[in-house]
Amino acid sequence: MSSPSHNLLLLLPRAPESARALRSALSGLAATATIVHESAACLTACRRSEVDAVLVDAELGAACRELLAELRDTGPPVVVVGASIPGERALELFRAGARDCVSLAAPGGSDLAAVLTREFARSRSARSGTDELDLQREKMASIGLLAAGVAHEINNPMGFIHANLFQMAEYVHDLRGLWEQVDVLIKLAGEGAVEAARREARSLAAACEEKDLQFLLSDLAKAIRESQEGSERIRHIVQDLRDFSHLDGAERSLADVNQCIESTARIVWPMMKHRVELVRDYGELPAVWCRPMQLKQVFMNLLVNAYQAIEELAAPRGGVGRIRLETRALPQGVRIRIGDNGPGIPRENLERIFDPFFTTKRVGAGTGLGLSTCYRIIERHGGRIRAENSAAGGAVFEVELPLALEEDGMER
Amino acid sequence: MGRSPQLLFVDDEERILSALRRSLRREGYELFCANGPSEGLRLVESREVDLVISDQRMPGMSGIEFLARVARVRPAAGRLLLTGWTEEIPPAELARVGVLALVPKPWEDAELKRSLRDALARGGRRD
Repeated sequence: MSSPSHNLLLLLPRAPESARALRSALSGLAATATIVHESAACLTACRRSEVDAVLVDAELGAACRELLAELRDTGPPVVVVGASIPGERALELFRAGARDCVSLAAPGGSDLAAVLTREFARSRSARSGTDELDLQREKMASIGLLAAGVAHEINNPMGFIHANLFQMAEYVHDLRGLWEQVDVLIKLAGEGAVEAARREARSLAAACEEKDLQFLLSDLAKAIRESQEGSERIRHIVQDLRDFSHLDGAERSLADVNQCIESTARIVWPMMKHRVELVRDYGELPAVWCRPMQLKQVFMNLLVNAYQAIEELAAPRGGVGRIRLETRALPQGVRIRIGDNGPGIPRENLERIFDPFFTTKRVGAGTGLGLSTCYRIIERHGGRIRAENSAAGGAVFEVELPLALEEDGMER
Repeated sequence: MGRSPQLLFVDDEERILSALRRSLRREGYELFCANGPSEGLRLVESREVDLVISDQRMPGMSGIEFLARVARVRPAAGRLLLTGWTEEIPPAELARVGVLALVPKPWEDAELKRSLRDALARGGRRD
């Protein structure tokens, strides 16, 4: 939701004169100004929403110090304003972390507007940088999950391919032995040594019996076939892995959303198959012009969340953990619903669930970035994502996507 | 034990069962395979199984949960877990269920055969 106006937070004493003085200095600036009177309120506001710059009245010594200490390096830039700020005080403030100090009563008028314009520009580019960082971090987390999924999925085919190769080597060794005898037989028959040939033939027949040649030949073929099937599976996994960690996540293309969900489900399935059942209800969908890599990340996030929600319930409703993947075409796009039969989302969290850093997971179990990044990705696609609880009690995440993502001017 | 040892393998992956059969064909065991925990329990109930080797990740029930049930139905049967090493199973859990050994996936032919021989030998000394 990028608005042309910037968000300015003002921390002022309760005296009305300071507000008046600032108002004239700020007129003409494309910014929405919010006024607070306590540093605590200021800090809360900075954490909750995207503040482009904070203006603090130099009069509020203690509040100013507290603010600078808290927001230093991590928060929005803090500009200290006062009627007249002496040099040493300004130096002190800079050392404490202030981005700038402006004296409103400076000869020739203050350059507050210029300072703020500069900070707004910087803030905007930093914000898109943070977005990218979040996306990157989320992608890394997805790749981590992916790696675990891949390891699971590869273990089985590797297990039987490895064992089969060993056995096939033994079979081939046995076949070689039998062939050596066939060779001798051919030679004897060629020389016309009938008796010797007969003896050799009997010996060969016995050896074939002992090695169970019939079984060996058919089992060798079976082992090869099964191993080939395993090798195909590994090939698909590697392909899924390659798709997922493709360097340019922002690449746009026409995609089949069902296929995106399916390949993501394939990846996470081995991790969750012992606890959940995946129910697919895919509608016929038109191709969607989108960023498939990012959509797959969203689906992975939603799938893993669903699985984790089910894990929380010792015995899910109806005995079996179930995740439902439903897709439908809409008049102007597609709708995806990913639902689980876990405990559902508490009513009071439904609103905040897409907020950055909101998490109900134990410390260390999740960054809380996931859903907010999903929100941003879907938003950038011109779509909509929302969460609700189903009648049966579990959670349902619904994503709507337009047929073609629209670019806003700021996008790369 | 006059008869040959009876081994039960439980895995939801058919090709793993096939590969295990293939590896152990000449070891002198009678081999049973179950494609999942419910089939596995049926076989444990109906056969005098000496060893049960189960995969950990199966739809519906984990290997540990399955082996816990095996312990109740046929306590004399030795219990082994096939595992891909990508999950961590607390040693306390393994001890509680009485798992004799873990068999890694993928497995080495010689090590698999040794683990099974050892488990059967220990079975003779238990209860």
